[in-house]
Parts: sequence; C-alpha cells; structure tokens
Amino acid sequence: MFTATLRGMLAHKVRLVLTVASIALGVAFLAGTLVLTDTMRLAFDQLFGKVSAGTDAVVRAEAAYSQSEGISTSRAPIPAGVLTQVRKADGVRTAEGSVSGYALLTDNAGRAVLTSGGAPTMGYSLPADPALRGDVKLLTGAAPSGAHQVAIDATSAEEHHIALGSTIKVLFNGPTQIFTVVGTVGFGGEKNLGGTTGAYFDSATAQQVLGAPGVFDSISVSAEPGVAPAELAQRINAVLPDGAEAVTGATVVKESADAVNEDLKFVTVLFMIFAGIALFVGSFIIWNTFTMTITQRSREIALLRAIGATRRQVNRSLIVEALLLGLLASGVGLGLGLLVAKGLNLLMDAVGFSLPSTSMQVEPRTIVVSLLVGTLVTVVAALVPAYRATKVLPVEALRDAVPGAGNPTKKRIIAGAVVTSFGLAGLFSTLYADLSMKLFGPSLLAIIVGVLMLLPAAARPLASLIGIPLRLRGMPGELARQNAMRNPRRTSSTAAALMVGLTLVVSMGVFASSLKASFGDVIGDSINADLFVTTSSAQAPGFSPEVIKVVKGVSGVSSVTASGWGEARFDGADSSYSAVDPATAADGLNLGVSAGSVAALGTSGVVVAQSAATSHGWKLGDVIQSEFAATGKHDLRIVGIYNGKGWIGDDFIISIAAQTAAAGQQLTSSGLVRLAPGADRSTVQQAITAALADHPDAKVLDRKGFEKEASGFIDKLLTFVTVMLLLAVLIALLGIVNTLVLSVFERTRELGLLRAVGMTRNQVRAMVRWEAVVISLIGALAGAALGIGLGLALSQALADEGIKAISIPGVQVTLYVVLAAVAGVLAAIGPARSAAKVDVLKAVVAD
Amino acid sequence: MSATISMTGSSTAPVTAAARAEGVSKFYGTGDATIAALKDVYVSLEAGMFTAIMGPSGSGKSTLLHMLAGLDRPTSGEVFLGDTQLTSLNDKALTLLRRDQIGFIFQSFNLLPTMSAAENIVLPIRIAGRKPDEVWVKSIVDKLGLADRLTHRPTELSGGQQQRVAAARALASRPQIVFADEPTGALDSAAGTELLGFLRKAVKELGQTVVMVTHDPTAASYADRVLFLADGHVVDEMFEPTADAVLDFMKHLGA
Ligand SMILES: Nc1ncnc2c1ncn2[C@@H]1O[C@H](COP(=O)(O)OP(=O)(O)O)[C@@H](O)[C@H]1O
Ligand SMILES: [Mg+2]
Repeated sequence: MFTATLRGMLAHKVRLVLTVASIALGVAFLAGTLVLTDTMRLAFDQLFGKVSAGTDAVVRAEAAYSQSEGISTSRAPIPAGVLTQVRKADGVRTAEGSVSGYALLTDNAGRAVLTSGGAPTMGYSLPADPALRGDVKLLTGAAPSGAHQVAIDATSAEEHHIALGSTIKVLFNGPTQIFTVVGTVGFGGEKNLGGTTGAYFDSATAQQVLGAPGVFDSISVSAEPGVAPAELAQRINAVLPDGAEAVTGATVVKESADAVNEDLKFVTVLFMIFAGIALFVGSFIIWNTFTMTITQRSREIALLRAIGATRRQVNRSLIVEALLLGLLASGVGLGLGLLVAKGLNLLMDAVGFSLPSTSMQVEPRTIVVSLLVGTLVTVVAALVPAYRATKVLPVEALRDAVPGAGNPTKKRIIAGAVVTSFGLAGLFSTLYADLSMKLFGPSLLAIIVGVLMLLPAAARPLASLIGIPLRLRGMPGELARQNAMRNPRRTSSTAAALMVGLTLVVSMGVFASSLKASFGDVIGDSINADLFVTTSSAQAPGFSPEVIKVVKGVSGVSSVTASGWGEARFDGADSSYSAVDPATAADGLNLGVSAGSVAALGTSGVVVAQSAATSHGWKLGDVIQSEFAATGKHDLRIVGIYNGKGWIGDDFIISIAAQTAAAGQQLTSSGLVRLAPGADRSTVQQAITAALADHPDAKVLDRKGFEKEASGFIDKLLTFVTVMLLLAVLIALLGIVNTLVLSVFERTRELGLLRAVGMTRNQVRAMVRWEAVVISLIGALAGAALGIGLGLALSQALADEGIKAISIPGVQVTLYVVLAAVAGVLAAIGPARSAAKVDVLKAVVAD
Repeated sequence: MSATISMTGSSTAPVTAAARAEGVSKFYGTGDATIAALKDVYVSLEAGMFTAIMGPSGSGKSTLLHMLAGLDRPTSGEVFLGDTQLTSLNDKALTLLRRDQIGFIFQSFNLLPTMSAAENIVLPIRIAGRKPDEVWVKSIVDKLGLADRLTHRPTELSGGQQQRVAAARALASRPQIVFADEPTGALDSAAGTELLGFLRKAVKELGQTVVMVTHDPTAASYADRVLFLADGHVVDEMFEPTADAVLDFMKHLGA
C-alpha cells in the first residue's frame, strides 16, 4: 500500500508541486524567522563579548529592577570612591571606572553622523589599561586624553571622511562640545559595533560629558593571573559597600545580550505571526486537495473497501500520504527558510531596523520545529477529509454520483452563526460596554472563525450574485458561474484562503488610514503649535535639551513647549511616561485637565490620565509610588487628571525636572513652537533652521511637513506588514490554481462533451478563467468586508489612545479587490490551458 | 483490394450525400503496436435517410462515426459534410461546424450535470450565443414526451429520459445531420424502443438525416439502410432491413 501511495503522489506532478509549495512557503517563513532570531542572538552575543572581552568582573550599583536602554542598562551611578576600595581587593590586577551615554558625532562640516535604523549613537570611556578594552582596539592614532580629545569608530571616520587631527562637534544630553579626533577604533575585525557609532573619551572627560563628575556607571576589573572571574567577583563583593555589587564580565555580557534580545522579541513574534498566517492559509489548500483527490478516488477507495480493506487501512494510507507530503514540503520549506532569513534581514534593513551581521545560524531546533510544524499542519488538515472519505459505505461510493457536491449541513451553519454572534457580542462589549480589552483579540478570532464556518453556506449565493454580470459573457460565463456554485464547500475553502489574507491586509490598511486621519485631528485637538521641533532622523531617541533653549531665543518665537519621554514603574507596573516643563506645558498642549493642574507638577507631582485614574480608583491628592531604574523609589502626588490623550498618549506625566532628578539628564523628544503675535511663520521657521545649524540632531517643521513625516512612517510600516501578508495571499492564489487543476481533471468528460457539441477552445478557456475570477472575488469581497470591519474595530478599540478619526481607504480596498480578480485570471492560465486541451473523444468514449 | 464488397453511395445515385468518407484510414499507435481501426473506407450517407452502422465489437464503427462527425481526424483520406471538406478545417472551424451543423447522441454522459434538461437541450444554441427557436424546441420536446421533465437535473432523470433529452438537444438546432453512437446501449428495451421510434419519426416526419452506430439488430431494423463493418472495412450494406435479416447477416459475418 505504501508504494501505491508513493506512485499515486508522483503521478500528479502539478498537484504535488502546488500542495508542497503551499505548505513549504509557510514553513520557509517559520524557518527563516528562527534562523534570523538565532543569528541575531549570536550577533549580539558576539557584539557584547567583544566589548567586555578583557573584563573579568564588573562592579555596579544594585538595582531593584534593571531596564534595558539600547545596548546599555541604566542603573544608579556608583561613587568614584568605590574604585579605590575595589583596587585594594585581593586578586585585582587593575580596575577602572567606566561611563557611557548618548553621544552624537558630527562630521567636519557639522552634519550629524546618523545611524540607519535607529542604532544607538553612543559615547564611552576608553579604559587606560589595554586589557580592559577587550576587543575595542585603536586602529589608527592614539588613545584620547584630556578634555578635548576623542577617538571614534572607524566606520564613522571613513564614511564621513573625518581625518585624524581634525576637529568635530559631539552632541550630548548636555551641551555640545568640540573635540580633536585623535584615533579610530575597531572591534575585533569590525569597524563598527553593530551599526552603532562610538565616541571614546578618557575617563574624566567621559564623566563630564556622558555622566556626572565623581561617579561612574560601573567599574571594570581585570584579575591577577590565576584568579577566576567568579572568585574575583566574590572577593570584591566582600569589600564593597552596601548598594554595590560585583558580578563577572560574562554575567554582564549575558544580561546585555538578553536585554537586547528581549527588545527584539517583537521582531520574532511579528514574523511568527506571519508564518502562522501563511501556514493557516496553506492548510486550507491541503484540506481542499485531500477532499478533492479523495472524492476523485472514492470509487477506488470503495473498491478497496469492498474487497475487504478495513476502514483503518484506508485511513492509514491516506494519512501516510499526508505525512509524506508534509515532510517533503517541510524539507523544501526549510531550505527556502535560509533565503527567507536573508530576505527578511534585507527587508528589515530597508524599513530601517538594521541588525549586526554574522553568519546564518541553523540550529537543530530550527530543523526539528520546521519539519514538525509543517508535517503536523499537513496531516491535521488531511485528517477530516480522510475520515469523511472512509466513512462512506462501499456501495454508496461505487454508485456514479456527482462527486463531492452538496450543501453544508444545517449544524455547521448554526455553529458558524453561534460562533460569529459570540465574537460580535464580545467585540461590542469590549468596545462599548467597558468589558475587559482582553476579550478583544479572542472576539476578533471568533468572528473570523465563525465567518469561515459560514462561508460554505454563503458561497453559492455569493457566486450566483458575483456571476450575474458573467451572463453577459454568454454560455462560458454562465457555465463558469454554475461551476463556481456547484460545489460550495470547495469554492468556499478555496476562497477562504484568499479571504483570510485579504482580511488582514485590508484591516491593516483601514487601521493605518484611520491612524493617519487621526493624526490631523490629534494635532488639531491636543496641541496648539505653529511649528514643530523634532529629531532630524525619525528613529533617533531625541535631541539635546540645548535645542529648546536655542529655539526659545529665536525672534518671533513666543514659547516652546518641550516634552520628553521615559520608562519607569508606577504603582508596581512598568509604564512609559511623558515629561513636560510645567511652566510652558499649557502653551502648546491641550491636555484637557479635568482636575488639578499641570503647573502644579513640581518635582514630586504626577498628572495621570482619566482612564488610568478610573481603573485604579485614583483621585487628586493620592500618592502613588514610582520606581526608576537609576534612582529607585519616589513617591509622586497626583496633582492633575487629564483627558486629552493624543499628542501625549501616556498614562503618566511628570515634570522634566523630576525626570532629570530621577533618571538623569534625558533627551528631549519634541518642542511645540508658538509664534509671537504678528510673526510670520515661514520667516520664523527659516530663522529657527538657521539657529539649529549647530544642532544637527534637531530640525523644525511646519504642520504640513510634520504630518507628512508622520504619515510617511506609518506608510512604511504598513508597506512592511502588507508585504509580509502578501505571502498569505500568494499561497491563496496557489490554492486557486490547485482547485482549478483538480476541477478541470474531475470535469474531463464534461469538457469533452462541451467541446463535442460546439464549445471552442477560447470559450473553454474563458469558462475556467471566469470561474477563477468568481472564486477569487468571493474571497476578496468577503475579505474586504471582514477586513473593513476588523480595521474599524481595531481603530475604535484604540480610540482612547488617540485614534479618533475613522477612515476607510476606499481606493486602496477597491484596488485590492480588482487585483484579486486579476490574480484569479492569472491563476487560471495553466488550468484553462489544460481544459482547452482536453480531448473531445474523452467524453464520448465510455470507460 | 480487400474492400471487395464495399459499396459507395454512388451506386444509389442522384440523392445528395449529407456526409461522405473517401478513402478514410485511421491508425492508432506507432510501430509494431499500430492498430488500423479503419482501412481505406468509402461511404456516402444520403440526406433524409436513417442509416445504421453495424458490425462486431472493435470493427471500427465508433471510429468511423467520429471521423464523419468531425470529432477526430483520419490518418488519411477525406471527409465531407455536405460540400464542406472537414479534413481541411482548423479546430475552431470544425468546432463551429459541430455546433451548428451536427447533432450528437452518445451512449452515456450526454448531459451537463449542473444544468436542467431544458438548459441541456438548448446548450449548443446558447454556446453559439443565439436564441433558440422556441416553437421548434417545444415541438421536439412534446414529441419526446419531456414536457414535464424540463426543470429536472440529469441526476433526477431515468436513463431513457436522459437519452431523450440528448435526442432533443441533437435536433434542437436543426442540424444537417445527427450522429448517434449506440444511443440505446445503456437502456432497457422499452426505453430503447421509445428512443428508436423517435429517431425514426424524426427522419420520416421532419426529414432529418440520422446516422446511428449499433450492434443490436433490432435497433438496426429501424433504419432505412444498414452498413456492415468488419475489421475496419465496409463489407456490405442492406436496405429496408429487418431484425432477422440483420441477425442472419451478422451471424454470417461472425462465421
Ligand atoms: N484511442 C484509441 N487508441 C488505440 N486504439 C483504439 C482507439 N480507439 C479505438 N481503438 C481501436 O480501434 C479499433 C476500432 O475501435 P472502435 O471504432 O471503437 O470499434 P467499435 O466501435 O466498432 O467497437 C479497436 O481495435 C479499438 O481497440
Ligand atoms: Mg463503439
């Protein structure tokens, strides 16, 4: 029976290729994601390993909780005095204080050296002891010494033609300073550290410009020969004051790498979701293929049953077929996965997330998971059709009936309606009845599943409706319509694959469109600004607070409302917060403060969002505890409650002064400029641009320019997501090809008959083509409708976060539907050709 | 050479030929495995006549019918429908000719399962994008006793009814000629008799030309003329046949 199975699979090459492809694409995505994740992990491990190669132990402040921030972790600084104690500890060869922080290089002309994809721009203290530098080596020139010298990473020096001996400005959280470039730095064979830029100073200068005098971020320690790192850390710990701890260098490397990988988890999760969607869509095709081939073979199966093969034997042979198919497809997918990993890497690069490079990592786990998932999906998708096939009594199948037609059962329709209703009920209660948002996701899922269950019942009426214009195309059109209607289950499961893909694409489109439309409203409602000061590159973390002072000094500017951003714990939960200047907040921001006032923030006040206040039962005057990674716990008194989420979307607003005290000097993220009465906007904009010549980390935009930049970013993300989802659409199209191939094969006699009684080859081709168009339009229209619904629900769900406007991108959705129809035509090319080639005598000669 | 008893239509002189085969041969396969299904066959089928083609199984009856009906091309020789030389037509022209000039009744699977009887009857006319002649179609439907079956799907019809629907389709477009390949082969004798009676009537009353392949002497007895095929040759013919005479001749052929 096994060889029969194998021979059967090889006999239908087209079907084999199509079904393999439909699963292989999903598996490729999965494998690609795993490869990319492992590669990224290794890359970061190597990266951090390089930096701390010569550091045996690190002394740092204990932290209640640590919070990753780019490639460094922010903790409270450690007093410089601790260094003396550490040096005295047994087994310490040498120890040095280390400081790092934000530092943006500029070239000799004062232009910012920006990184692609928001890689950090960093400044570090360069240890005096070469061993403590690890793999950070001077490639040319000398180590920086004194307050006016800097060494920079070799990539920045080369790409921006910054020569040794030339002077450059370097921007910090604090004032900009001018340095002479005295050296270039490399990193164990690489010229930059994973796409970041680096500025290296001597220890005292680093304290000045990156941290604060008298404190270090940490102390790096090198052991005497023969002292193991763990031993060293233990000995140092013995002499450390309270609040400080010593850990091994390896621990720090692991922590840093883990922190970055945690940050990058969203990438993995995102790609896994796309892989899951692709596999889900692919499973429809397997389901369909098995349903159809089993129907076509029902007589053969019945014969087997009649001559005594048990149901289990027949079942088993079908499952073996699915197993082989699944393994083959997963194997192919795994191979493709390597290409996908490369492709994803390029794609991420293109949209601005660049990752450090290293060789592709294919771990055994990747192989096992890919093979397992691909095979499992295939077998599971084949189970139900196989079960159905063998349930048929031998006599029934031997009778010559129209194979596989028949309407979906009442039970299924009712079940589908119930599931859909539950989903809708859940959705509306989360949106309008304050039910927990946790139900939102499951509700959406229930709606999609419910609609999938109902689709077979809707397929016939839908095909009939969509096919009405086809009647104008004469008999081929009419026959196409009837063929699409004759087997609603097949039509619907073929269209369902497309529906799922399009639902997601359209809902993302609607969401993005609402987001963009809201942007205008948000700007209109939640702020009063004539001009906007923003970072010069979209992904930069912010600009120096100096910028605000400069802009304030420009004539024609009446006020500048600065705001910053950070993360901390409030009442025990991690949250982001906004930081504003209480004196100017009211000028630019319409916070809609319903109680208290922003002006009362001081350094120990907080303004909370109405929604957060409601859900926690907070009122004016209550004290909530906050916890900052750098400085620990602070009590904050609620001095205001605000309603106007929009420009500011955080639950908590503190003063910039409070932020500086609790988290150190931080970058500013935006400045809202109001003009003095009578000042001309474009004149002032030009004046600000001129004034910012020395501040390449910031730029000024008018409202139009600002909206354009923001929507450009949304468009970029939307493009990325759409491209990812197109994979599912592509698989769905393979499914249409597959269904048509099988249908044409199944209808050989009919096609012969039609040809005999006078249908031309062109008409036969048209008939198959229009059937494909009807099927893809069912999928596309259902997907568009569902997608619009889900997109609106998603937008509505985020109304509190500032998505106030709702917008359906009509042109875009119409385009998708038209494209789906065109894709249907393309999918039909092959099957139409083989239908037209059917031998006329096939129908006439009885078998 | 071997076609000693072969008769051509020219012997029954001035009547116009609805279809002709001139020196038609058909070979299947290549090399040693070549099968000669038809060997240098000359036949002429007169208009307005009911012709039966008889012969043992494998003698080439169906093959001859396929050649005459433009369903397949001969290996050599010429086929004419009226004055049109089929062998020179391309696929499209041949298809249009089948659609407009020829009616078909096959042994089985005559009807599209997705369409009602009525839709099946006018299928070729609709494929042509024309409007059926309602009066004509109704008269045929009535003659065949199908009036109360028109909305039924093929699966809801008996075998005899299905073949009658096929017959109605064959006549609906007023073709030059109707070809039937063992139309009663899958029917019980009562249903078969009914269908044969209709074909007979179509010839007698409507002047329709009908060519029918059969291996059943009784069926052949409904025809005006019987052509006998054996081993790819036309070996004899008989006019105004009776079932017994045909049976006798067949026995003689088999011997
Ligand atoms: N497509 C084909 N391929 C090969 N041989 C064929 C084909 N069609 C018919 N034949 C052979 O040609 C001969 C005549 O067949 P056919 O015309 O169907 O006979 P009949 O209809 O008289 O039973 C037979 O030997 C048959 O096996
Ligand atoms: Mg035959």
